[in-house]
Amino acid sequence: MKRVVVTGIGAISSIGLDVQGNLNSLRNGIGGIGQSKFFVSKYAQTHALGEVKASDDELRLMLEVKDEKGLTRSDLLAFKAFREAITDAGLDEDALSSFDTALISASTVGGMCLTDQLYQDANTASKASEFIRSYSASAHTSYLAKRYGIKGIVDTLNTACSSSANAIMIGSRLIKSGRAKRVIVGGVDSLAKYTVNGFNSLGILSPAATKPFDLNRIGLSLGEGAAYLVLEALDEVDGKQVYAEIKGYGNASDAYHTSSISDDADGVVYAIRQALNSSGLSPNDIHYINAHGTGTGNNDKAEVVGFSTIFGSKIPPFNSTKSYTGHTLGASGGLEAIYSIFSIKYGELYPSLNFETPIEEPYGLAPIRCYQNDVEIRNVLSNSYGFSGSCTSLVISKV
Amino acid sequence: MYIRDSKCISPQPTYTNGIESEGIVEHSGTKYFAIEPKYNELIPAGQLRRIGKAVRMGIGAGLPLLKNNPKVDGMIIGSANGGLEDCISFLNQIIDYEEGTLTPTNFVQSTPNAVTGYLAITTKNHCYSNTHVQRGLAFENALLDASLLMEQDQAKSVLVGNIEEISSFNYNIDEKAGFFKAEETNSAQLIGSNTPGTVCGESATMFIVQAAKENALAEIIDTDQLHHPEKGDISQKLEQFLRRNSLLHSDIDTLLLGYNGDCRTDHYYDHFKELFDDVSVYSYKNLCGEYPTASAFALWMATEAISGKQIPAQALMQKGSREIKTALIYNHYIGLEHGFILVRKI
Repeated sequence: MKRVVVTGIGAISSIGLDVQGNLNSLRNGIGGIGQSKFFVSKYAQTHALGEVKASDDELRLMLEVKDEKGLTRSDLLAFKAFREAITDAGLDEDALSSFDTALISASTVGGMCLTDQLYQDANTASKASEFIRSYSASAHTSYLAKRYGIKGIVDTLNTACSSSANAIMIGSRLIKSGRAKRVIVGGVDSLAKYTVNGFNSLGILSPAATKPFDLNRIGLSLGEGAAYLVLEALDEVDGKQVYAEIKGYGNASDAYHTSSISDDADGVVYAIRQALNSSGLSPNDIHYINAHGTGTGNNDKAEVVGFSTIFGSKIPPFNSTKSYTGHTLGASGGLEAIYSIFSIKYGELYPSLNFETPIEEPYGLAPIRCYQNDVEIRNVLSNSYGFSGSCTSLVISKV
Repeated sequence: MYIRDSKCISPQPTYTNGIESEGIVEHSGTKYFAIEPKYNELIPAGQLRRIGKAVRMGIGAGLPLLKNNPKVDGMIIGSANGGLEDCISFLNQIIDYEEGTLTPTNFVQSTPNAVTGYLAITTKNHCYSNTHVQRGLAFENALLDASLLMEQDQAKSVLVGNIEEISSFNYNIDEKAGFFKAEETNSAQLIGSNTPGTVCGESATMFIVQAAKENALAEIIDTDQLHHPEKGDISQKLEQFLRRNSLLHSDIDTLLLGYNGDCRTDHYYDHFKELFDDVSVYSYKNLCGEYPTASAFALWMATEAISGKQIPAQALMQKGSREIKTALIYNHYIGLEHGFILVRKI
């Protein structure tokens, strides 16, 4: 089977408007969660959020789409990261519009970030707004496909918070099957009243910046962003830069509850086990784990139970980069894959922020607490878990 | 990949049996609502009250299949919109109560993977699951996902299907975008009505697909797709698609085309039909209405025909001289997303 490698990356989040900005923040331990400036909601005043540090107008200016109608913030964030990724991989017009170039994206709220506008369009007899075709989770993908003339397979996944990890998995499988030579994979979500109110109604939205894996964690911080990766078959890359290999993936159902993970972390364990099996690696080969680490009581405990089941007493160093970005939902799997690539490429490990006290015994484990460099990181495990028990793990490796 | 079993909740009485000409329900107006089964043997009453229609129909079609085929290795759904009625309920609460104290039920159920989640929880199955939401290609992508699992030896059998509901959300929004007919309309006159707009339908159509040929009803040979086609793209893509599967145009004896009576976009089907000689042509949207994953209903109908059941006369647009052996489903959504599914008799 073909080997799948990453030849381009693009990222935007509360810790940077591009890949370099994200890398700098991780290296300096600077998080992006705090007082939001552009997001309009009652909770913007009371809750720290991971907002991208650019207004819609500023994003429009960067993207040269000043007067284009119907674009939501989700679309703009997706455009920004997508453009960076394809430029980085050197994909020209011909490559983009070839039948064997696919686009697999992901989102959960999509254009529903315009909650009030949507309310008007859906409930009232008022004239259609310019956003009438922009609300769905797949709207940004359709805009991207049209804008860049993508003529291969075009797909959007929505498995809640594991969406873009699944996009990376599907993209890899398409290349392995020979149905695509290159696939642009990733996802996007922007801050929305919809999700802020949703997580708040579940009692898991933290007022202060989230504290993943801390005993006193009280919930997640919502964030926003987008991330895209260009995947290509290794035998097609022909001298191009190669960041890393998508070595394996596992996808399993926790089959327990719609909005929490089981005590035994079944789905977590099955997904990690499959990811290891499909990559031909054993637990000892994993040098770092980019955890799902949302900072909720349920997730962090279940995830640590899962780590113990798989790795026994030799749990690799782990962190939650959501302590920097907040939970970016449909973008998180993509962003965290890029952060995993940083660790591989630069031999660095970034501290988990806001951590003080290890969580309850017998799993009193601490995440990475200090920046480290000169570390040989060959294989990274990256986890993503969503509502309805959707668990996905990726193994990303040095080539 | 082979179809082992299927279950369909649609605007026709498809749930318990196949459909025959005399059993066809005629719909008038622009909403073709599904004829739903009684769910009380499948879903506990307390839960039934709390779940939205799309999720309910998905469980209604999926759960009986899983009872007969309990050991599936995957559950894959294609749905443009998921549980939108739940979504709009939660959205309305946010605005109406000015972001006050809200109940999370609608929020949790508005994620389109609620269906696979419910089915996995109910059948205690830790298998692979995925939910594709690329509007008019969501079902084709779900099929593709299933076939990749089998090609790469990750699954022997998979539950794959669609869910789509008529919700106030999608209906109002699509109506404002000019999707639906303004004049009086009924299903008998839908196709060929030669006016702009179509009608809105819904369904949950589920299949058990398997890697093995034994006991199968039909073979799904392959699927492909095209976004925003320019002139010549569709025939070029079709060419490549047939060649990849070692087929000639002349091997296709039956077409199922997504005619929906919208004079602005039905021309794609007229042109497509001209690419084939001596084929039988069937419509299906005069039976199930238009919705982004309607090709799932077409695949269900093709499977019925291939396995020897009757196809209602209302669906026949053109009669060819050959029996059905190799059928091609061509469906597009508002002219933007175009999908192919190839099905063959075993």
